[in-house]
Amino acid sequence: MKKNKLRMKNTIYPSYFVFGALVLYLLFLLVPGVMGFYYSFTDWSSYSTDVHFVGAENFYRIFFDSSRHYTVYIKNTVIFTVVTIILKTVIALLLALLLTSGIKRFANLHRAIIFLPAVLPLLVVGLVFKSILHPSTGILNLFLRTVGLDFLAQRWLVDVDWALFSVIGVDTWKGVGYLMVILIAGLQAIPNDYYEAARIDGANALQALWHITLPLLMPAIMVVTVLNLLYGLKVFDIVWVLTNGGPGYATETVYTAVFKDFSKGYYGIATALSTMLFVIMVSFGYFVIWLMHKEGTDF
Amino acid sequence: MKKFVYLILAVVLMGVFAGCGSATPETNVEKAAETVVVEKEAEVTATSEPQESVTLTYLASQEWIRDAEMELAKQFEAETGIHIDFQIVPSDQYFNVLTTKLNTGEATDIFGGQSGKTDIKVLYDVEKNAVPLTNEEWVQRMDPLSVDQVSLNDEVYGLTIWDTTGGSWVIAYNKQIFADLGLSVPTTYEEFKAINQAILDAGITPIYEPVSDGWHHVLWFPEIGPDYEAANPGLAEALNANETKFADVPIMQEALQQLQEMYELGYFGEDALSNTFADTEKAMASGEYAMTVNRLALGEQVEAAYPEVSADTFGYFVMPLADNQIWNVNPAAPSKFIYSGSKNIDAAKAYFEFLTRPENLQYFLDNEPAFTMLSFEGLGVELSPEQQAFINTYTKQGTVYQTAVNYVNPQWMDIGQDLTAMFTDAASPEDVLKNIDQRRTDMAEAAEDPAWK
Repeated sequence: MKKNKLRMKNTIYPSYFVFGALVLYLLFLLVPGVMGFYYSFTDWSSYSTDVHFVGAENFYRIFFDSSRHYTVYIKNTVIFTVVTIILKTVIALLLALLLTSGIKRFANLHRAIIFLPAVLPLLVVGLVFKSILHPSTGILNLFLRTVGLDFLAQRWLVDVDWALFSVIGVDTWKGVGYLMVILIAGLQAIPNDYYEAARIDGANALQALWHITLPLLMPAIMVVTVLNLLYGLKVFDIVWVLTNGGPGYATETVYTAVFKDFSKGYYGIATALSTMLFVIMVSFGYFVIWLMHKEGTDF
Repeated sequence: MKKFVYLILAVVLMGVFAGCGSATPETNVEKAAETVVVEKEAEVTATSEPQESVTLTYLASQEWIRDAEMELAKQFEAETGIHIDFQIVPSDQYFNVLTTKLNTGEATDIFGGQSGKTDIKVLYDVEKNAVPLTNEEWVQRMDPLSVDQVSLNDEVYGLTIWDTTGGSWVIAYNKQIFADLGLSVPTTYEEFKAINQAILDAGITPIYEPVSDGWHHVLWFPEIGPDYEAANPGLAEALNANETKFADVPIMQEALQQLQEMYELGYFGEDALSNTFADTEKAMASGEYAMTVNRLALGEQVEAAYPEVSADTFGYFVMPLADNQIWNVNPAAPSKFIYSGSKNIDAAKAYFEFLTRPENLQYFLDNEPAFTMLSFEGLGVELSPEQQAFINTYTKQGTVYQTAVNYVNPQWMDIGQDLTAMFTDAASPEDVLKNIDQRRTDMAEAAEDPAWK
């Protein structure tokens, strides 16, 4: 029996098993990607049927022509990504810990409630939060004013200093439940023996968290980080429904700019923007997976 | 080898999560387009058996499909069995959604679009995307100025049923508030500013300005084009010939500085950036606001929505930025086009024919409080004393700059974004003008305009 298992584990499958998937992948992902890479060096637009090679002009416009605001969009995208990664991961981890080893009563009900925003349609979330965050009639400011915290009442979605963080806040609220579920799965996979051994050795809860939970949870945290990173860099919908990039350019991100440029018929620069993001995402993704593997072998 | 495996793994992962965004922006685009479309179907009230079951899809921006047209669509369905499926898109997203649908070849049978020579060429490319309507009977009865704005190379592409004269954007003011505070209609910017301050001091918000829609606050700038033209005769022509730029015109800078000052002094109120155009009647009926930029028929609109507020509560004057005293007229207006890729072109033409029957146009005019006249001849028009007073006061007229100057109207929403940035100190009036010039250059060069060669 044992021998059989071992044989199963060591079976090597023929490489042509991968061909089907590879063809689909090449046809629908890699080829369009490469074509996009080419078009990002052209002036392809809806205004003319001719497509001319323009070298790196589109990229020059993106990175060096400040009047076009693309650098602001890139900055906003990076801020959104970094802040949501930190906020969502930390909050999801705290909630996961709380609902696996803290609160035992109705734990599943709490998990379901926290997960609920993840299944709500984004358009509904956008409309609801637009109304909640309205500066004079929204319930958030009404509540703050009622309890005497007037100084905390802000013009959440229409103040240049607050708008991006309001969007981040709503996105965190919506996304944290999903990540919590992944982390709970990770936590439940950690054998109890380690904690028992630690207790016998006299470790307190904090030491157990630091030396057992976090290292063993690292693969799940990495998955969560990669998901967040990719989601954050290509954020579009939540911005679209809440602020449409405004006020001014305060919440405009790379993908809202891609959408707007594309709809204006400037395909060349829109493709250049998404190509740029594609390259960044591949590099970051590769780095994170490399890091994950490195960390994984350490334990 | 291991590294290679990681690289492949990374690329596959990115592909799964992001690849679709890289090479095919349409995916996101379509999703967004689908989510923002709010379908508003005309209910079936057929009195006779439908003869055929055709459904015409009709994409339009918020506010473009008036209630009277919805009623006429029901009558049309009762008569022909052709159902109109109105797809209304929020105005701040409309042009993105429409142009995306046109660019991807997935437009509706009928689509709404702002008329104007550059718009129909640059934004909608009607020669490719719309069906020529030159030989339709109603073209003969449509106001020639409006016909011109939907024509390109001697072909007519659109139908305009709109109030292009009485539909001028002016300042509607609450006469009662003005009387209570002893204020009179301003003729210069300084007087206008003093009036705003007096109203603000009285605890009333001077102006209801719905910035959140993204288009309304733009009106302040190009609508007073006739004033720029009066200060610089031949300016529109020079701009179209690329002999001068917006940033080089001092009076434009002055107008924008004044607009910025009005925002900073709080004349638009605390909630301007959250206010929506759809709430205008409510806001003006409440008496919490003294003025707003609207059509020459705001009073009738408010009365229709709030019968306790009489239409004669409101009077009208032109926007006095840069001391403007000229009546701004725009022959271009929201129009209807038939998509060239539609499978129901004849049905759409029948719908246009139905709408333009004299009795139906009269029905439309009589039942649409926002309109005082229509872009068709031979209709009975009744003006209120307030409207008549406005017409008597402002005898000099001029064409607004979004129509007189090329490549301005297609960037309307971008100008809106710039102006919001200006309100929030993220841009200066000079930046706004430079951005307008830049976008004009981009469009003109892409369209291979000889003046930009």
